[in-house]
This record gives sequence, C-alpha cells and structure tokens, in this order.
Amino acid sequence: MAGRKIGKGLYLMQINELLYQFIRSELEDAVGGENVSTRSSDLLVHSVDYFFVSRMWEDRGKNTPQPDFVVRPGSAQEVSKVLKIANYYQIPVTTWGGGSGSQGGALPVAGGIVLDTKRMNRILDFNPNSMCVTVETGANFQQLEWYANERGYSLMHYPSSMNCATVGGFLAHRGIGVLSTKYGKIDDMTVSLEIVLPNGDIIESSPVPKHAAGPDLAQIFIGSEGTLGVMTKVTLRLYEKPETRRFRAFLFKNVTDGIACGRDILRKVKPSIMRLYDEAETVSIIKEVLGFAAPGAFMNIAVEGMTEIVDIEERIILETCAKYEAQDLGHEYGEKWWDSRVTFFYPGHALDLPKMYGTLDTVATYDNIEKIYHAKKKAIADNFEGVRYIAHFSHWYEWGCMIYDRFIMDHPPEDAVECIQLHNRIWNVSVRASLANGGVVNDHHGVGIKLGHLMKEQYGPGMQVFEALKEKLDPNHIMNPCKLGL
Amino acid sequence: MLSEKANKTVKACRFCWMCRHLCPIGLKTGRENNTPRAKGILLDMAGHGEAYSVSMAEDMYECLLCGACAAGCETGFDPRIFIREARTKAVVEDVVPDYVQAVIDNLTETGNLWGIPSEKKAEALSPWSKDKAEVILYAGETAALKTPQMVETAAKLLAAAGVDFATLRDEPSSGAMLGDLIGYVDDTAACAKILAEAIASAGAKTVVVLDPADANVMKQEYPQWGIELGADVVTATAYFAELAAQGRLNPAKVTVADATYHDPDRLARDLDETQPARDLLAAMGIAWKEMFFNRDMVRSCGEQAVKAHSPKIVALTAAGRWEDVDRCGRKTVITASPSDYEILSADIPKGYAVEDLFALLAKACGL
Repeated sequence: MAGRKIGKGLYLMQINELLYQFIRSELEDAVGGENVSTRSSDLLVHSVDYFFVSRMWEDRGKNTPQPDFVVRPGSAQEVSKVLKIANYYQIPVTTWGGGSGSQGGALPVAGGIVLDTKRMNRILDFNPNSMCVTVETGANFQQLEWYANERGYSLMHYPSSMNCATVGGFLAHRGIGVLSTKYGKIDDMTVSLEIVLPNGDIIESSPVPKHAAGPDLAQIFIGSEGTLGVMTKVTLRLYEKPETRRFRAFLFKNVTDGIACGRDILRKVKPSIMRLYDEAETVSIIKEVLGFAAPGAFMNIAVEGMTEIVDIEERIILETCAKYEAQDLGHEYGEKWWDSRVTFFYPGHALDLPKMYGTLDTVATYDNIEKIYHAKKKAIADNFEGVRYIAHFSHWYEWGCMIYDRFIMDHPPEDAVECIQLHNRIWNVSVRASLANGGVVNDHHGVGIKLGHLMKEQYGPGMQVFEALKEKLDPNHIMNPCKLGL
Repeated sequence: MLSEKANKTVKACRFCWMCRHLCPIGLKTGRENNTPRAKGILLDMAGHGEAYSVSMAEDMYECLLCGACAAGCETGFDPRIFIREARTKAVVEDVVPDYVQAVIDNLTETGNLWGIPSEKKAEALSPWSKDKAEVILYAGETAALKTPQMVETAAKLLAAAGVDFATLRDEPSSGAMLGDLIGYVDDTAACAKILAEAIASAGAKTVVVLDPADANVMKQEYPQWGIELGADVVTATAYFAELAAQGRLNPAKVTVADATYHDPDRLARDLDETQPARDLLAAMGIAWKEMFFNRDMVRSCGEQAVKAHSPKIVALTAAGRWEDVDRCGRKTVITASPSDYEILSADIPKGYAVEDLFALLAKACGL
C-alpha cells in the first residue's frame, strides 16, 4: 500500500521512488502521459485554493499542502480508472474544479492525487424542448452561461464566482446565486447527475428529480464535496431570459421590520433578488443612495419575468413594504448594484489579506434567523476584540431566509499559527451560535476542512448516516480526506 | 527581482481567478497553470524563497499575451506586466526552457522567430524597397516570411491609391516578438532604436503597419522607451479604411458567403481599434455575422512567438477560435492580421475558409 494509516481510514502518502514510478505509469496509462503531472509548478499551484487559511499560509511563506500527482481525466471512464488505481494503492484523491471554494474543500491536505476536472468541459446536449442542458462538470460556469445566452436562454445561476468556478464545484458544495430566491439553488436546478463512485463504478441518478423511486440519488452526492465520489456530468435546468427585471430599494426602520416584510412578501410572490442589510451595513449604503446618513435597514429587491406578472408582483411588494412604513428609494441603486455586482470580488474591491475575514453564512426559519443574527453579533463582540461583524439577508424562502454575515479583522496576528488558531476560534464561536439557535453549519459555501469538525455538532446521531455512506462507498477513505467531517 | 508595479499585480492576481473564463489557452487545455492566477501565485511563492524553476518559467511562456485577462479585470490589473517580467527573470536566472531559448536565439541571430536567414526578408520586400518615401509600409516578419502575398496585396492597394510608399531595405524587427519573449528590456529597446533610425533615414511621415503586434509595440512601447519615430504609426486597417473614405480606393461589392470577422487581439484590445475593419467590410458590401466573442471580447486564435516555441498550444487556441466561428453558424472567417491569418490557415476545418481582409479589398478594387 502507498499510504500509511494514521487514523480512522486516513492515509498519508508514504512511498518509495520505485513504487511512485509504477503508480505514475499506471496513471499515465489511464489518462495519457500528458495529463499526469509531477512538475513542481503544477503541484504548487494546486496547493493553495481560495480558502482564507490557505491564502494566509502562502502569504506568510509557509509550506502549502501539495499533492503528489496532478491528474487530469478527460471523461468519466478515465476518472473510473484513476479511482481504481487510487483505491488499489490507497492514495488520497482530492477533486479540484476551479479551486475557488472558500472552505478548503479542494486542498490536498493528505497529498496524493489532485483530480483536476477541467478537461471534462464539453457541453453534451442543449435541449430547449425540455429546458435543460447536459454538461461535463469540469466546464467553466460563465462559459456555459454564455453558451446558453447565445441561444436566448440562461441558467439563472449567478454566483460571483461563476467566472472562475466549474459546474462541478457548485454542485460539490450546494452553491447559490444572487437570483436564487426565484430560481433556486444549484440543487434545485439539477435534473440528473452522473457520478463515478470511489470503486470506479459509473452510476446515473434518476433521469428526472421529482419521482417516487426511492431517495434522490443526485441529492446524496450534491453537497458531498468529493468525499463520496466524483460527479462527472450533470443536466441542469434552462430558463428563458426574463422579459423585464425591475429593481426597487427600501429603507426599513430596523432589521426586524425588514425580515418580517420579507417573510410577508415571500408568502405572495417570489422576487429574484431580495437583500436586506443590517444597520451597520446600511450606514455606508444609504449615504450613497440618499447622499446623507440615515438609520435603518436597507433592502434591495428585484422582480423579473413577464412584464404583466412583474407589474402585479411589484404592486404587491410596494403594498407590503408600505405596511411596514418602509421608505421607497426607487430603482437606481438596484440597477447600479446589478451592473457592478461582480466588481466587489475583484482585487482592490474584495476583502483580502492582510485582513482576516470569513463569511459565516447560515440559514434558518423566520422564528430563528433574527435570534441567530443577534447571537452571532454578540458572540463576536464579546469574545474577539478588534473583529467587526456585518450582515445582510439575501436568499429567501417561504419558511425562512439565510444570513450572509461576515467577520472582519483589520489587524490579525502576523504569526501564521496564531492567525489560524484565532481564525478557527472565531469560526467555532460563530457557528455554534448558529447551531444553538436553529441554524446550520453553512448555507452555501460548504464545509470543507474549515467546518468539518462541526458537522457532528449539527447532526448528532444523524451523522452516522453520512458516515455509513462513507464507509460503504469509500471504505479506504481515499476520497477528499479530512473534509466534511468524514 | 520584479518591479514594484509587477509585484503589486502579482499580489492582486495570486489568489484571484476572476479572469479564468477568458484565457484562450486555459479554456482549451483545462490546465490550472494556464491561468494568470497560477502565474501570480508561482511568482509570489518565488518571492517567498521557492526556487524559480524551469517548470515555473515554462508556465510563464504559456501565455499569448492577448490581454483578455487585463480587459476582463474590473480593477484594471494587467497580468501581462508580471508575465513579461517573469520572462526577463527567466533569462537572467538562466531557466528559460530550451525550446523557448531556441526561438529567442533565432530572433537575436536572424531577426525572426524561425531562424530564416535575414536576407530572405529583404528579398521578399525588395520589389518595393526604396531609400526614401513619404509612407513606409512596415510588413513585419510574419507577413514578409510567412504570408508574403499579404505584403504584395498591401503594396497593390497603396499603389492604386496613389500613395508614395516603400518598404524598408533590410527591414529591422520592431522588437514586438523579442519584447514578448524576454520582456521590455534594453535589448528590446535597442532593437526598436534600429528600426526608428531606419524610418527616420527614409524620411517617412507615416508608417503603415501590417501586423497589429508591431503597430502595438511602436505606438505603446516606443514612447515609453524614449524612442521618437518622427512619423505617424497607423495600422493597415485604419489606413486603408481612410483611403476608402477619401475615395482614393473605390471598392465594389464582393460576395463572401457565410462570413464572420475575427478581430486581431492586439488591434482590438491594446490599440482599441475595431471599427475600421468593419467599415471596410461594409464598403465592400460583405454581410458578416459577429461572433459572440468579438471586439474587445475577442478570443485570441494564437500568437506567433508561442506558435514558434509551443505549436501544440497554438493549435489548440486556433481550434478554439474555429469553434467560435462554428458557434455563430458561419464558415468563412475574415481577418486583418498576417499573424492571425497564418495561424488560422494552418489547420482549416473541412468546409471552412479563412480570408484576408486586404485581399478582399484588393479584389473589390479590381486589383
């Protein structure tokens, strides 16, 4: 065996040069010599993903966790061959799409193989009759969206990372886009899935999602972050581009009113965008909108679709907001925000080192979401000097909404180890505040290595279901070790 | 050692993938290292003490310098700044890959990427070479040595328009390819000075440049190096469009079925010029359909320096551009760059065609 068992099914690569060369030969035989790399620059590039700790670690000059091989399969069949080899030699396998996840899910912390999926980027079927598109999971999402746009359609999945992420990455962590209130999360948009199991078997989920043929196989793998297998092909929903998209902004007296109004709106209509900012975040926004400071909670809403339906939805929203005495701030902010919504994620605009920061997102029912907001805000204020907390509520359902809250520390410790320890303490306190008040470990960024240790705290005995799946599907524990708490 | 500007750009790009969706090489190879982010983080790691290896240098050379990443950056960072400097660093630290060094050696010894004896270029341009002229037609090495018919076409058009023009005897290199391969360093500037002297010696008031890569370095970089040409540098597309607008060229209608137009990336992005070619197409009555990635969103088909040292990469990027042609439902791609014409012509899919804009113009003018 190539790995040394150091814990419950975890192997670290520890092999001699001879065996290494045999493994390399087998991998090259599986995917082609030009698609297996041990070049130092390939290994280095795959040792840092978008996770804050990963970036901080590199920024401080620390050794980043490199794989031993970068393997780039071009098909599900090649993935199957690679996983069979990995199982035989008990080599860890970490799937890497865009590497743009924020939870450390793509980091090859145990070495082994990084399975870079980006050769699998073909659009296989574009089907306007059934309003779906079938694509390999290594495809860049923006390129897929443009392909649909050329034909007059859209996938309506607009996370800010769509420039850099792969289709598979969004599936791996149950991603969300800014229009999700109307169109759903990526799991809602999935019609069917092809997966390669750790033993190399290639399986298909049901061809359609809404059935009574047992549990939903696709949903078992969506959100599994590469720990149960490799998703290689997906059929996603297509949408017609809306005839109209209309924005409106409001200033509520406080967050409580804003949340209550959002809840009331969702009982009647589904806006595509609804973003309610807490009082702290509102301060800077409202100055821009009104030209002067004003207290309250700012909300940006959009409705879209057929014009005659949008007219009705807009009227309902105006009436509902009026009940809460919200000040109508017109449509300009929303339109400007829409045009520049991705700008916030470019260097110079996005949060970046030397600051320490994290998005603490969670989701809960309307009974609990405000409690969570106050609990986390207090937990951070009480425990961490010099750490700010800001929040907005941005993806809404009939039963509740999510909170997109962040902590920001302008001057974190210089020492990398101190920094990581403080970072992890902040996360523990924040997530536990969510869990204690009916929230979840994470809303849409996933779990990765960052939050894996908190999964059992959320699920309790329910965790054994995931663990049983993991034991059955991946008995050698080669798939993305140390992630998802598995 | 990278410059302060390059370092600042490295720090910006090292963790950012927001231009990944635009890189023509990355989109075709699927390799993580074919992204500006990968190059940024490797240089950052080199700054922390990681050895700047041949492996890293190889990645720095797998870039067309097409500017798609820079055009797509909302903040305005340009990864090409550190990529060029990284190539200089590779030269200084003697880690240039052998296959790239061979091309650099060709350039320094013969003035062209392919090691073709320099006399061949002079020979190709000799029909039009004179000591003095108002207008110099600057052919560039790709046109002179790989697509000489484009030089002949340009010459015919100039003559038909009554322009007093000449090509330079022993036309010196502009430094464009050298700058791409080793960076904008003294050697590159020295190359540019030789050309500047030749142009001055010819007494030219205007330099009409056939290849956008040459035009770009003359217009954008020469002033930075303190090189004054003493003549206006005009792209061939802009010059011929102006001649047509003045009535000095009178194109009739020509038919090109199923046409689309490919913007040369240096022309569209670096020189911000997309309309003159379109004016010429319209003047000839050619109906074309725009590709999805057009104008400053153009997907580059490749670059001559990369083709010289890594032909497989450019075969992929050219194939990518043919896919774009196919996606817009057209069969004939028209382009206005000797480099792009040569790259697209190297492997034309069955049933497709590539046309030179200037050849069409000559045909339309009855030449």
